[in-house]
Amino acid sequence: MACVYIPVQNSEEEVRVALDQLPRDASDILDILKAEQAPLDLWLIIAREYFKQGKIEQFRQILEEGSSPEIDEYYADVRYERIAILNALGAYYSYLGKIETKQREKEDHFILATQYYNKASRIDMHEPSTWVGKGQLLLAKGDVEQAFAAFKIVLEGDRDNVPALLGQACVEFNRGHYSDSLELYKRALQVYPDCPGAVRLGIGLCRYKLGQFEKARNAFQRVLQIDPENVEALVALAIIDLQANDAAGIRRGMEKMQRAFEIYPYCAMALNYLANHFFFTGQHFLVEQLTETALAVTNHGPTKAHSYYNLARSYHSKGDYEKAGFYYMASIKEINKPHEFVFPYYGLGQVKLKSGDFKSALSNFEKVLEVYPDNCETLKALGHIYVQLGLTEKAQEFMRKATKIDPRDAQAFLDLGELLISSDAGAALDAFKTARSHMEKACQPVPVEVLNNIGVLHFEREEFELALQSFKKALGDGIWLTFLGDDKLNPYVIGVGASILDYKDMQLFHRLEEEGHSVELPWSKVTALFNLARLQEQLQNTDAACLFYRLILFKYPDYIDAYLRLAAIAKARNNLQLSIELVNEALKVNDKCPNALSMLGDLELKNDDWVKAKETLRAASDATDGKDSYAILSLGNWNYFAAVRNEKRNPKLEATHLEKAKELYTKVLVQHTSNLYAANGAAVVLAEKGHFDVSKDIFTQVQEAASGSVFVQMPDVWINLAHVYFAQGNFALAVKMYQNCLRKFYYNTDSQILLYLARTHYEAEQWQECKKTLLRAIHLAPSNYTLRFDAGVAMQKFSASTLQKAKRTADEVRSTVAELENAVRVFSQLSAASNLHLHGFDEKKINTHVEYCKHLLEAAKVHREAAEREEQQNRQKQEAARQLALAEEARRKAEEQRKFLLERRKQEDEQKRLQKEEEHFRRVQEQWRSNAPSKRRERSEMDEEDGGHSEKRRRKGGKRRKKDKNSRSRYDREEEENDMGDYQEELEDEDADTNYRESMSQLNDQDDDAGGNAQDILAAAGLEDSDAEDEPAPTSAARRRQALSESDDDEEPVKRGANNSPVRENSAEMQLSDGEIREDNNKPNRDVDDNEE
Amino acid sequence: MKLAGLKSIENAHDDSVWAAAWVPATEARPALLMTGSLDETVRFWKSDDLVLERTNTGHCLGVVSVAAHPSGVIAASASIDSLVRVFDVDTNATIASLEAPPSEVWQMRFDAKGTTLAVAGGGSASIKLWDTATWRLTATLSIPRPEVSKPSDKSGSKKFVLSVAWSPDGKRLACGSMDGTISVFDVARGKFLHHLAGHYMPVRSLVFSPNDSRKLFSASDDAHVHIYDVEGKSLIGAMSGHASWVLSVDASPDGEAIATGSSDKTVRLWDLRMRAALQTMSNHTDQVWGVAFRPGVRAAGRLASVSDDKSISLYDYS
Repeated sequence: MACVYIPVQNSEEEVRVALDQLPRDASDILDILKAEQAPLDLWLIIAREYFKQGKIEQFRQILEEGSSPEIDEYYADVRYERIAILNALGAYYSYLGKIETKQREKEDHFILATQYYNKASRIDMHEPSTWVGKGQLLLAKGDVEQAFAAFKIVLEGDRDNVPALLGQACVEFNRGHYSDSLELYKRALQVYPDCPGAVRLGIGLCRYKLGQFEKARNAFQRVLQIDPENVEALVALAIIDLQANDAAGIRRGMEKMQRAFEIYPYCAMALNYLANHFFFTGQHFLVEQLTETALAVTNHGPTKAHSYYNLARSYHSKGDYEKAGFYYMASIKEINKPHEFVFPYYGLGQVKLKSGDFKSALSNFEKVLEVYPDNCETLKALGHIYVQLGLTEKAQEFMRKATKIDPRDAQAFLDLGELLISSDAGAALDAFKTARSHMEKACQPVPVEVLNNIGVLHFEREEFELALQSFKKALGDGIWLTFLGDDKLNPYVIGVGASILDYKDMQLFHRLEEEGHSVELPWSKVTALFNLARLQEQLQNTDAACLFYRLILFKYPDYIDAYLRLAAIAKARNNLQLSIELVNEALKVNDKCPNALSMLGDLELKNDDWVKAKETLRAASDATDGKDSYAILSLGNWNYFAAVRNEKRNPKLEATHLEKAKELYTKVLVQHTSNLYAANGAAVVLAEKGHFDVSKDIFTQVQEAASGSVFVQMPDVWINLAHVYFAQGNFALAVKMYQNCLRKFYYNTDSQILLYLARTHYEAEQWQECKKTLLRAIHLAPSNYTLRFDAGVAMQKFSASTLQKAKRTADEVRSTVAELENAVRVFSQLSAASNLHLHGFDEKKINTHVEYCKHLLEAAKVHREAAEREEQQNRQKQEAARQLALAEEARRKAEEQRKFLLERRKQEDEQKRLQKEEEHFRRVQEQWRSNAPSKRRERSEMDEEDGGHSEKRRRKGGKRRKKDKNSRSRYDREEEENDMGDYQEELEDEDADTNYRESMSQLNDQDDDAGGNAQDILAAAGLEDSDAEDEPAPTSAARRRQALSESDDDEEPVKRGANNSPVRENSAEMQLSDGEIREDNNKPNRDVDDNEE
Repeated sequence: MKLAGLKSIENAHDDSVWAAAWVPATEARPALLMTGSLDETVRFWKSDDLVLERTNTGHCLGVVSVAAHPSGVIAASASIDSLVRVFDVDTNATIASLEAPPSEVWQMRFDAKGTTLAVAGGGSASIKLWDTATWRLTATLSIPRPEVSKPSDKSGSKKFVLSVAWSPDGKRLACGSMDGTISVFDVARGKFLHHLAGHYMPVRSLVFSPNDSRKLFSASDDAHVHIYDVEGKSLIGAMSGHASWVLSVDASPDGEAIATGSSDKTVRLWDLRMRAALQTMSNHTDQVWGVAFRPGVRAAGRLASVSDDKSISLYDYS
C-alpha cells in the first residue's frame, strides 16, 4: 500500500497518509499540509492521487490551495514544485476545455489553463514541462502551428523529452505529415519504452494513415495488450476490421466496437460506427439513439458530420424526407470541403430530387461528381435530373458516360435507352439490347418492360419479325401462343365466336378455361400483349389482334385502349355501328377519356352527324383542358369542313369557319411546333386563301417530315401537294404526286384520287389517259355513276378535240367515231338509269349530252368519210384535174355561204358571249351553293399522349369519305357545267352550220377540191375553233383562263369572299403569275447586264 | 397443299388485266385460260406455257368479267359499257349480245349444268338470269330494298351488286353488294331468302365450296375472307392477312383450299382446315384482280392469277 509521509514540523515524526485512504474532505489533508508546511511535492502527490481516484473536486481544491499567493510567498524559493502545481492545473483546465462541448465554457477553461501556464512561465521561462503543457493547450485549441513552436522549444532543449515528442508527433499528425509523426512517436517509444499505450496508438494511427494497415493493426493490438480497455485502440482495430469488408471482418469489427462501447459509451467514433452498423441491420431506433449520443459527446466536425449523416440516412430510409434533408444539411454544415465527406451531398441530392427541387439536387450531385467524377450512380442521378429539367442532351451525355465507365451496368443502359427513345430510336434500341444481353449473360430475368420497349422500337422501325420475337419473349408462355397459331390446336381451340362481331361474348374464354387452358394474364404483361396485338394488326392478322384485345378486356374490363383498338378495327372494316358501340363501352369506363371522345367524334362525322360530332370533339378538348392536340385538330378540321361543305355556300359563314379552323391549327402549332397535322391544316387553309407558294412549302416540309416512320402515315399531304401543283398548272408534277400517293398509301385502290388524277389529265388535255383513269376508277367504284358521266365527258371531249385538229388520219377519225359511240352509250345508260334515281343527275342534262354526242357523231361520220376520201384522193391523183374544176365551183359557193354564215355568227357570238357571261355568273352562284371541299384533310393521329406503348397508330380520320362525296358531286357538276358551256357554244355553232351543211353536202357530192375545202369542212363540223378563226387570240385565251379558273374553283375551293367575279379574280391571279414570270425573266437579263458592265 | 410458280407472262395485255376464267377442255383441245382487260380485249392462253391462242376484240371500254360455259364450247365476256358478248370459244363467232338496261354487268357465272348464265346486275340491285339455249332473260332476282328509304339515302347504290356465285348443286345463288351484304336466293323458286351479314365494305367476289353447297367464301374490301354457312345464315369464320382489299376468291377443285387475290399485290393460298394462310405469292407488282383454279383434272391442279400490272401468272397447285 502506497503511503506518503508528511514530516511533522520541528520534529522527527511524520504523519503517514495512506493514499488509498485519503479523507473525503480534502480540507483535512490541506489543514495538515498547511499546518506542517509540508513540501510542495507532497501536495502534488496527494492531489494527483485524488485525481486518479476520480475525486476531481479535491484534486482541484488542493492544487488551487497549493498555487495560492500565500503559498507562493511561503515557498517562494521552491520553484519547480510550484511550476508543477500550476502546470497540473493548466493541464487540468486544458483537458476540461478539450472535453467541454459548450463553446463558452470551453473558452473559459482554456483561458484559465492559459493563465496557469503563464503563471508557471513567470516562475521559470525555461521550464520544459510548462512548454509541453502550453503546447498541449494550443493543440487542444486547434492552434497547431503555435503548438509546434512550443514543442519545438522543448525539444531544442532536450531532444528526448517524451511529452514534447508526443506533442510534436500529434502536431505533425494533424498537419498530415504522417511519416514525420510516426518518426516522433517511434523516438518517444525508444526513449521511454514503457510508455503508456497511447503512444503506440499514435503509431497505429500513423501507420493507418500511411496505409500500412497490418502494421497499424499490430500497433493497436500492442496497445490493447498494454491496456485492454483502450477504447481508441479498440475502435481503430474495429475500423480496420470493418474495412476488410467481408462478413467475418464486419462481425469482428462490430464485436470490438461493442466492447469499446461497453468500456466507454461516449466515444463518438464508436457510436457512429455502431449507428452505421445498425442502420444496415435496419434498427433505426438504435441508430437514432447512438447518433444522438455521439452528437452530444463530440465537437469534432467530421465526426459530427458522420453522426448527422447517420441520422439523416436513417430518416431517409424511413421515408421522412424532410428530417432527412434537415440532417443532411446539418452534416454538410460540419464539412469544410466536400472532399472530406461526400456522402451527405449525395443523400441530400436524393432527398431534393425526391421533393422535386431539381436545382438543389443538381448542385449536390455535382459536388459528389467533383469528388468522384466517375461515379456511375451519380452520373445516372444527374442524367435523370437533366431529363426532368428538359435538358435531354446533357442527360444523354451523363448517361452515356455512365455506360462507358461501367459497360456492364444494365440499369445504366436501360436508363440511357429510355432517354433516347424520344430522340434517337435507333440508339435507344441499341442501348436496350445491350442491357438485355448483359442481363441475359448474368442470367437475370429480363424485365417485361425492357423486352416490351425493344419490341416497340423494332415495331417502329418496321422490323416486325424482331418485334414479334421480343413481344413473345416478354409475354412468355400463355394462352396467346395458341391464339397466335403457334401450336397446332389453333382453329379447334378457338373455333367459332372468334370474330370481332362477338366482342362482348366472353364465352370463348370461359370455355377455354373449362377445357383446362390457362387463361391468365398478369397485369405486368398487359402492355406487352396490347403491343403484340397492335403488331398483329400491322401484320394484317386482325383476328389474332381482336382475340388479344378481347382477352385483355376479359381480364381487365377497364382497359380502355383495348376497346378503342377494337373500335378502330371495326371502323377500318366500315362497321360503324359496332365501332360506336365499342367506343361507348370505353366511355362507360371513363366518360372523360379524350381518346375515346375524339374517336366518337370522328365516327359521328363519318356518320354525317355534324352537330353531335362537334359537341363530342368539344367535350374531348375540354376533358384535357384544351391540351389535347388531337381534339383541337379535330375541331379545326370540323371547322374547315364546315366552311367548305355547306350546300348553300355562305361566304360569311365560310370565312368564319376558315378563320376558326386556322386559329385552332395555330393553337396546336403553338403548343407543339412540330405537329405535322396542324401544319398540314394550316397549309390547307392558306391554300384555300390562294397562297399556294406558302402552302406548297409547308406541304413539302410536312411530307418530308412524315416519311420514315411506320406510325406516321400522311397520304393527305401528298394529295394536298398535288392539289397545289394542279392549281398552279403544273399538271405533270401533280400527276406524279397523285400516282405516288395512290401507290404508296392506298394500294392503288382509291377511286377518289383516281378522280383527281383524271381531272388533272383532263386539264392537261390528255384525253386518253383521262378516260383510262376514269375507267379504272369505275372498276374500283362501280356504283359511282358520276365517274361514268365523267368518262362520257372525257370521251366527248376527246372526240371533239380530234375533230378540231387540222390534220388527222382516217384511223383517228374512225376511233373518234367509236369513242363517240361509247360516249353516247354511256350517256344513254345513265339516262336510262336516272329513271331509277340511282344517281343524282338531271335527266335532261344527260339527254342534252346524248343529243350533242349524236350530233357530233353525225358530223364525225362525215369527217370520216371525208378523211377516207382524202386517202382515196391521194391514191387517185390522176383524177385531180377533173376534180379541180368541180372543186373550184364548190369553193366559190362555199365562200358565199361562209361569208353569210360568218356575218350571222358574229352576231350570234355577241349574243352568246352575253349569254355566257350571264350564265357564268349564274354558275358561280351555283357553285357557292354546291360546295366542294376538295382538299383532303389529314387524319390526325395522336400518339405521344399514349406514352411508351404503341397505342400510336390509332387512326382517327374518317371524314374523308364524307367529304369526298361532296367534292365528287361538285366536281361533276362543275365539269358538267364546264362542258355544258362548251357544249352550248358548240351546239349553237352546230345549229348555225346545219343549214349550211346541206348545201355543203351537195358540194361534197361533187367531189370538190380537198385543199380548198378543208377549212369549210371544219367549219361545217361546228368546231369551236371556227371561233378562233374569227378572232383567235382573245377567245382561246379567255377559254383557257376560264378553264384555269374552273380548275381553281374545283380543286381548291378558293375563297372568294364577297367577290362576285371569280373570273376577274382569277385573271388577276394570272396577271400576277405573269408578273412573276416577267420578273424571273428580268432577273437573268439584269444579271447579264451586270456581267457586261 | 402448295403453290409453285410455273410461268408468268409480262405484258400479257396492253393494259390492266381485270378478269380471268378457265374454259374447260373439250374433246378437241385442252382447257384454256381466258383473260379480260382494260385494253378491251379478251385473250385465250394455252396452258402450261401460256401461249397466246387468240385475241378477241369487240368490246368497248374495259372488260370486267369473263365466264366460260361448263361445256367449254361457249364463253361470255362483259365490259364496262354493260354489254355481254356470248361467243363460240373456238371460232369467236358471236352467239348473242346480252343487254338489260339499265342494269349494268359485273361478275358473270354459268351454273354447273350450263343452262343458265347469272349476271350481277350492278345498280339494278338484282341478278339477271339468261337462258343459255335461247339467250333470253328468264328471271331477275332482285334484292329487296329496305322499306323505309329516305330519298337522300342512296340505298340503290349501296345495294349495287358486284359479284355472283352458284352453289354447286345449282339450287342457290348468292350475290355480293357494295355495302357488304351478301344476298342468298332460291333459284328454283326465284325467291330471295336472306342476307348474310359481316362485311361492311364491297364484296367483290364470291365462291361456293365445290363439295359443300352450304359453304360460301366471300372476298371483301375489308381485307377479310369470310366463310358462311349459307343455310344456317351464319358466319363460320373470318380470315385476315391481306393488307388491302381482297378482290377475288376461288376454291380449289378438291375443296381443301381457297386462293385469293388482293390489292396488296399478293396471291394467297389458304388452308381451310387450319383456317390460315399457307402461302403468299408476291410475283405481281400491282393489284391482283383475278384468281382462278383450273377445274377438273385432279392430278395437275393449276391456279392462274391476273393483275393490274398487265401480267398473268400460272401456278402449280398440289
